[in-house]
Amino acid sequence: MKKNWVILVNVFIMLAMLTFVILYSGFENRKNTQRQIEHFENTTITMEHVTENYLEGEQRICDVWAHYINSQDMTIEEAVSFIRISHVLPSASAHLIYLDTLSGLSTRARRENADDFSVSYERMELLNDVSWIHDIGQSINISRAYTNPVNGEQSLAFCNFITLYDPESDEPRKAILLRVLPLSELEQKWVFPQEEFENAELSLIDANGDYIIKGHSFKNASFFEFYRSYNAIEPGTAQELFKKITSSTGSLTMRNSRGEECILAYIPVTATEGWTLLSFMPVKDLRVNTENWLLIGFISAGLLILFIFDAAVILSFARKFHAAAMEAASANKAKTDFLSTMSHDIRTPMNAIIGLTTIAEKNLGDTDAVRESLRKITLASNHLLTLINDILDISKVESGKLNLSPVTFSVVETVENLVNLSQPMVKEKNIEFNFRINRMEKEYFYADQLRLNQIYINLLSNAIKYTEPGGRVSVDLCEEESQKPGCVRLTYTVADNGIGMSPEFMANMYQPFSRQTDSRVNSIQGTGLGLAITKQMVDLMGGSIDCRSEQGKGTTFTVVLDLPVAERQREDMLIDPMDILVVDDDAVFLETTADTLRSLGVTAECASSGPEAVSMIARRHEEGRDYSIVILDWKMPGMDGVETIRRIRREVDSNVPVLLISAYDGSDVEDAAKEAGANGFVSKPLFRSTLYDRINALLGTGTRSVEPENDYSDLKGMNILIAEDNDINWEIISAILNMFGITSERAENGRVCVEKMRGAAEGSYDLIFMDIQMPEMNGLDATRNIRALPNPWASSIPIIAMTADAFSENVTECLNAGMNGHIAKPVDIKLVIKEIRRIKEEKKS
Amino acid sequence: MKKLLCIICILCAALSLAACGGKTQEESAAGFKPSLDKNTRCAITVAGSYDNFEALEAEFDRFNTYYPNVQLSYVKLDDYNNILATALEGKDKPNIFFSHTWMFGNELYDPVFARMEDLSDPALRLNLDCIRPGLLSHDAEGHVPMAPVFSRTYGMLVNNDLFKKEGLSIPTTLTELVAVCKEFRGRGYDSPMMGYSLKASGSLMNTIAYPQFVATLADKPEALALANALDPAAGEYMRPALETVELLIREGCIDIDACDQISDNYNQVILRFFEGDVPMMLCYGDTVSGTRKRESQSEAFARSPFAYSFSPIPLTDKGGYFIDSPSVEFSVNKDCENLDMTNEFMRFLITKEELNEMAAVKRLVTPTTDLSFDSLFAPFARIPADRTMSPEVLGIRDPLTVQLRVAAFKVGKGELSIDEAVAMYGSFE
Repeated sequence: MKKNWVILVNVFIMLAMLTFVILYSGFENRKNTQRQIEHFENTTITMEHVTENYLEGEQRICDVWAHYINSQDMTIEEAVSFIRISHVLPSASAHLIYLDTLSGLSTRARRENADDFSVSYERMELLNDVSWIHDIGQSINISRAYTNPVNGEQSLAFCNFITLYDPESDEPRKAILLRVLPLSELEQKWVFPQEEFENAELSLIDANGDYIIKGHSFKNASFFEFYRSYNAIEPGTAQELFKKITSSTGSLTMRNSRGEECILAYIPVTATEGWTLLSFMPVKDLRVNTENWLLIGFISAGLLILFIFDAAVILSFARKFHAAAMEAASANKAKTDFLSTMSHDIRTPMNAIIGLTTIAEKNLGDTDAVRESLRKITLASNHLLTLINDILDISKVESGKLNLSPVTFSVVETVENLVNLSQPMVKEKNIEFNFRINRMEKEYFYADQLRLNQIYINLLSNAIKYTEPGGRVSVDLCEEESQKPGCVRLTYTVADNGIGMSPEFMANMYQPFSRQTDSRVNSIQGTGLGLAITKQMVDLMGGSIDCRSEQGKGTTFTVVLDLPVAERQREDMLIDPMDILVVDDDAVFLETTADTLRSLGVTAECASSGPEAVSMIARRHEEGRDYSIVILDWKMPGMDGVETIRRIRREVDSNVPVLLISAYDGSDVEDAAKEAGANGFVSKPLFRSTLYDRINALLGTGTRSVEPENDYSDLKGMNILIAEDNDINWEIISAILNMFGITSERAENGRVCVEKMRGAAEGSYDLIFMDIQMPEMNGLDATRNIRALPNPWASSIPIIAMTADAFSENVTECLNAGMNGHIAKPVDIKLVIKEIRRIKEEKKS
Repeated sequence: MKKLLCIICILCAALSLAACGGKTQEESAAGFKPSLDKNTRCAITVAGSYDNFEALEAEFDRFNTYYPNVQLSYVKLDDYNNILATALEGKDKPNIFFSHTWMFGNELYDPVFARMEDLSDPALRLNLDCIRPGLLSHDAEGHVPMAPVFSRTYGMLVNNDLFKKEGLSIPTTLTELVAVCKEFRGRGYDSPMMGYSLKASGSLMNTIAYPQFVATLADKPEALALANALDPAAGEYMRPALETVELLIREGCIDIDACDQISDNYNQVILRFFEGDVPMMLCYGDTVSGTRKRESQSEAFARSPFAYSFSPIPLTDKGGYFIDSPSVEFSVNKDCENLDMTNEFMRFLITKEELNEMAAVKRLVTPTTDLSFDSLFAPFARIPADRTMSPEVLGIRDPLTVQLRVAAFKVGKGELSIDEAVAMYGSFE
């Protein structure tokens, strides 16, 4: 949904809610008003009762007076005297008016003359028509509001016909008795009891709508005229309405003179003839305001805040989505670029493999050409394998499925492997390579060896790759104490004086698919994944990686990892006290080697050059204190190791055993060194265990010659069962093994393998290479079944996984199933031989 | 989003402005600014002789917009002229009461005058300048005890649509009047001019004669003195007025028999005029005040409404007269309760706006200097100053008017000749 739609929907919901609140509030208000109107009507009825009681009470007094006067045959003066005595209310008075003259006497004197009790209604219209006065007791004979001619007050009069005695004529004379009460008297009775009706006003009207008593808000001379003046109504309808008002009880709304909506309640005063009591007040005064504007305002503000908050969140999400989309687009582009690169990078070695295979096929007769082609094919294949491994690793990193599979391993082997792997390129580029170790006391660690190897190899291979020919690469591995219990801290530093990196590239160098844009770099094979994988793995192992680099000057990567120490360690390595001379031009190497030797319990002396060593050996020899062993570096300026051996053997004629440090790969000098008199070889770096083993071996065997690496006689006669469903893979592995004098048998799947093992005689197989993904029964189930065999030999036979499932969890899975090792396809024959030898060694031990 | 936020902001601003934009009555009313506490709670009563006074009640409502807690009410006093003095002494003494110029010099009203506040007192800040000077009455000490709220004059209701229908022009001179009446008679209108003719008081004869008599006396102080003294010698000054009455009757402008069908000089006069067949209805200005209400009461008018106006009667060949006389005046009872608020109400009322408003509602001639605001009375605004006269300013007393009223009525009815009537001046009752 588009952003604007979301906002519009929000606004619509807000408005709908507000509308509901207002409508509901209005509905409640109307209901409440209706209740109030009903209440007002009921109150008006009560007021009618009050009025009626009052009128009846006052009329009754008038009736009593009239009865008495009529019964006593009184003169007007006597009647006035009688009434004067009977008066209770100070504000009330009585007028006795002769019908013929409309004048008479008042019970109260005029203000201006205390002796003047005369009163006249002659000029007043009130008594011109007296038809509204009925006989005593028949009805309430009340006048309209009029001006009391004696005191000028607005008054009401309760009337009765009386007969007075006229002494002048000696005849009875008709008169009217008026019990006159100030209008304010009734108005005081007309106070509404309820506070909410304090603004209500009452009026009394007669059947014609003329006011008998007129409230302040009632206008005009007649109520009907008042209604017509301010309310539009048809004449016919008006007549009906007025009839209804004067004949029934109810209420209606109408406009007052201010245009306000008012409620008019009406009720006939039953004790009178055609009079109606009207109560009147503005509707707004009736309303108890349930339209809680504070609540509505609060809800509005709340909704507005919610809306703004939602809008802000939506905007924030939109921005994030946009950024994510950009990132995804960027990543997608990077991947596209990467795929393009991969396509190129994969096609390049593939082209080499295919092309060289074609060339080899055409030159089958030319052994050298075929060998050269095969060598190049091997190189291209290895590169292709590295590429595929990197892709798989980064895919796992990105999916977050990269898990560690810790195993116990020897760091010596790891370093040896590292050195071995790096040597070909070091040699090729004629790079000055140094691998130094410092205080490496522990040899076995419990960690993910595969990942550790990857970290170390990636950094070292990068250093070598990005160092110009003739450059320098040094590696330092140092063991320190760790804060983590059971761990030691390994600091691995790779420094080169290669092309270096720009700060811009360094900012993103751990991002996948990133490679520095450099004409020199572009000629170097790489996936752009190495550093990303390395960083992820270091993080996964809880370590840190640091890089310092300067373009044109070189790069230094430092990886610090806290690795758990394995329970298994070499026994206390101590050698009987002896004097050993260490010879090398590298002072650091001399110092670290001397330290290591001293830790083995021997006395180490150092010489920094061949001549110095010869001189020291000669002096010792003359003193009869020959060194027990001389450890001599091959590469030294001036006089190299081989020449130094020659001079030792020639000039000193000493039989002192000499171990030649063959600087990572001694194969090139081994023949010359042996000829010169070297007793053994040892490769850098010199671990404590390496020195221990070599020294013991040298002292125990005397001048034992070094076993050549291409001597595979120890493997001859071995018989290996290979569980492999793929014919080609079977053919390759069996052929390779055969090259080393190893015989093999095939099991086409896991089930066949299990059956073969079940039926095999003890010792018929030395180990099993087990493929994992096979029909009928996979390698894991087959291993479990074999481990479950009753025959102890069969159930304990070494099983090595040989599979294309190369991930660490696959390795863990294999080990958990009971296997003893894992070799990933495509198989590296060196690894295969190494694994066979390891198994063989373990069997021996 | 920005657009939407702008719309919301604009809506909020518009609502705020709408809330602020509610123009209060206080801001809209020009001139009057309350000077007392607006929350003052009190009651003010105006006493008068009108049965009802809707125009004044409308002013009460307007005043309540400034002082909502002041309860104003109008009370009709029965037998007003006789009870007023008593009422002013009584317990419910009114704050404001009707007064009339004829009360001047009548000792019966001395107690009433004794209670009248001097409205010209600068402390009251009443804007008496908005009233036409000829309508203001001063006592012997130069005080102004009463302020007119309506003016009375004499004229005729003219059915403008009927003139249009017959293709005749409304006459502006006596000659034209006689001529147009002749035209109407020729077209079947038996009495082109009508009026009340049953009694002398309020009769059409007086309506014709009085303006002319006042005009005759206006520039003759010695004649006025004689007339006020009811000296028979002053009878001669009635002659021009009486001759005009006789002329109009003789020329057939007025059919007295037809006029005698009108039973009273107010309600029936109006209803007869609304029948629609009377081109000109002679009456007082006070009668005009009843026209609006009776427009709806007259079935004939409701059926066939027409445009009408109130014009001076063209009694001379120069035109008619505007007799400008106070109709109802207000006096303030200086002994009343809530005198401050009473004076505040008077200050509110005695302004051109409010008096005009009240006159418009009541349909009486406004006492203010702005006569032309009401189209109904606009013809009087066109009367030149030399034919505008104020009897009160001239010093015409009430007894004099009685002489003329009776004389004109009797001449009109044919009961007396003009000579006899002239000779009898001073003897009419």
